[in-house]
Amino acid sequence: MSVIPDEKNPTPTNQAQSDELRAQIFQRLHPHAYLDRFLTEGVRPDGRTPEEWRDVFINVGSISTANGSALVRIGGTTIICGVKAEVAEPELDTPDQGFLVPNIDLPAICSPKFKPGPPSEEAQVLSERLNAALISTQLLPLTTLCIEPGRSVWCLYVDATCINYDGNAFDAALLAMVAALRNTTLPECTYNEETGRTTCRSRSARRPLPLNEDKVIVGLSFGVVPTPSVPMGLDTSEGKNTSQTTGPILLADPTAFEEPLLAQVVTVVVDVQGRVVSVEGGVCGKSGADHDEDEGSTFIEKSLQAAQARAKILHQLLR
Amino acid sequence: MAQSTFDRRRVNGPEESFPPMFDDEDDGGRGWTAKRCRGAEDIRPIFLQPGLVSQANGSAYIETENTKLACAVYGPRQSKTTTYSERGRLNVEVKFAPFSCVRRRAPLRDAEDRAVAIAIHQSIVSSICLELFPKSTIDVFIVVIENDGIEGCIASGSIAASTALADAGIEMLGLVASCSAGVRGDEIRLDPVEKEVAAADGTVILACMPALSSVTNVYQSGRVSAQGAMKCMELCQDRCIDVHAVMAQSLLSSRASMP
Repeated sequence: MSVIPDEKNPTPTNQAQSDELRAQIFQRLHPHAYLDRFLTEGVRPDGRTPEEWRDVFINVGSISTANGSALVRIGGTTIICGVKAEVAEPELDTPDQGFLVPNIDLPAICSPKFKPGPPSEEAQVLSERLNAALISTQLLPLTTLCIEPGRSVWCLYVDATCINYDGNAFDAALLAMVAALRNTTLPECTYNEETGRTTCRSRSARRPLPLNEDKVIVGLSFGVVPTPSVPMGLDTSEGKNTSQTTGPILLADPTAFEEPLLAQVVTVVVDVQGRVVSVEGGVCGKSGADHDEDEGSTFIEKSLQAAQARAKILHQLLR
Repeated sequence: MAQSTFDRRRVNGPEESFPPMFDDEDDGGRGWTAKRCRGAEDIRPIFLQPGLVSQANGSAYIETENTKLACAVYGPRQSKTTTYSERGRLNVEVKFAPFSCVRRRAPLRDAEDRAVAIAIHQSIVSSICLELFPKSTIDVFIVVIENDGIEGCIASGSIAASTALADAGIEMLGLVASCSAGVRGDEIRLDPVEKEVAAADGTVILACMPALSSVTNVYQSGRVSAQGAMKCMELCQDRCIDVHAVMAQSLLSSRASMP
């Protein structure tokens, strides 16, 4: 179903129905102007203010075939992550380190813009970013995955699948992967020197992964919309109406409708203590050409403050 | 054994990795003789929720104990091929999530995905009025989140696909309900799980439209006698009437709760 943000008419009359249709056509044909009309009033098409975040829902452990699993919903975006553990031989130069292989898949089911086939560019970029976030923070020290140094180690495949894509897949996927790793349990395993085989005891209790609890991270994404073309503007940091044209607006947690209209996307990764682990900013969208260098850096500062505030809430949810 | 060929589009793990082996081996026949919580003619309780995927024209999520899958319908939309076709096309694609089976599946599509997709296509294609959509394609995408038996997967997939098509408002002749059965000797069990299928002699999957009392697809594999197969089909058809009621109820309640 296409996005119909107009929820004000529960009993459709002929006039209301034709108004709704005209609004939908306007949204399709002139998305920039449609978004600008909302932003000058200080709201977004789904009713949020520019700095408001969507509700987050996390559910863990529902998939019995996986060693650990999590389902995360941020608004409409739904991501399911499962962890499968397999046994492998370690690399020659790191004989006591296991493997952590995160991947995300954006199949055709989640959005009309993804076609079936090999991973799209968006999926590849997301996989790489998630890999960098998880490996660089040392959330799971790979030496804890060792069964027998030089012979046998655990290899954890962390696979995320998107079921419904409504923007901000990075935040949801990172949350899902961290929650799934938290939920993962491994069986007791021993390596037999003579036969060279690794066998697991099925009746013994499964042990959870020894994650670095102080290195748990969450991601927070923002989008920058270029200057609205309508005269009335809203200064987001002070929350007051100004009578002259204001600059670009920072939107927290962009939806699938807003994403193609953004000039810049900023993602902040924050850990449990509120320290900023990484900041990624990129120019994107067709409006990227009008982007101003100086304004870009002030948006990074604004997003850092907003991110640290929101990160506390997300870390609470992860517990 | 999971041998990952280097895929430049994904983050890669080690060249070779094996699923962990457990010290107590599974006995082949134990799956059938193990106690069943439900009767031989009872199917697993179905949880069906239409409208899960907001980006799609129609969608459904189905969960029966340990089998979970999500289905989305996009269409009717323009056909990519330039050849004119009087009837619309139905395209069914199935994807198993890597963590859905006991052994991790590579993310690449293989023959099993294709076989499940063809079975589901056969089940639902005769229920859709394709002659009303010339030059168009209806895409049905299914993602299997957890798999407990391929036969159960195909049956649940057909149910979810039919519900999603109804949720999308596409004209159909009737809802398609589907049920599977496993046979071992003289004993027939409906809706077998993976352990029971591994121990069974043969399986039968039946898809039908209970509203029109017509059968759309019968798929029998393994060693089943002719009388056994006919008995399976009768039992499945009786059960499909109950499944149809569940589908209709879920569609009505999802419409009622919409603004």
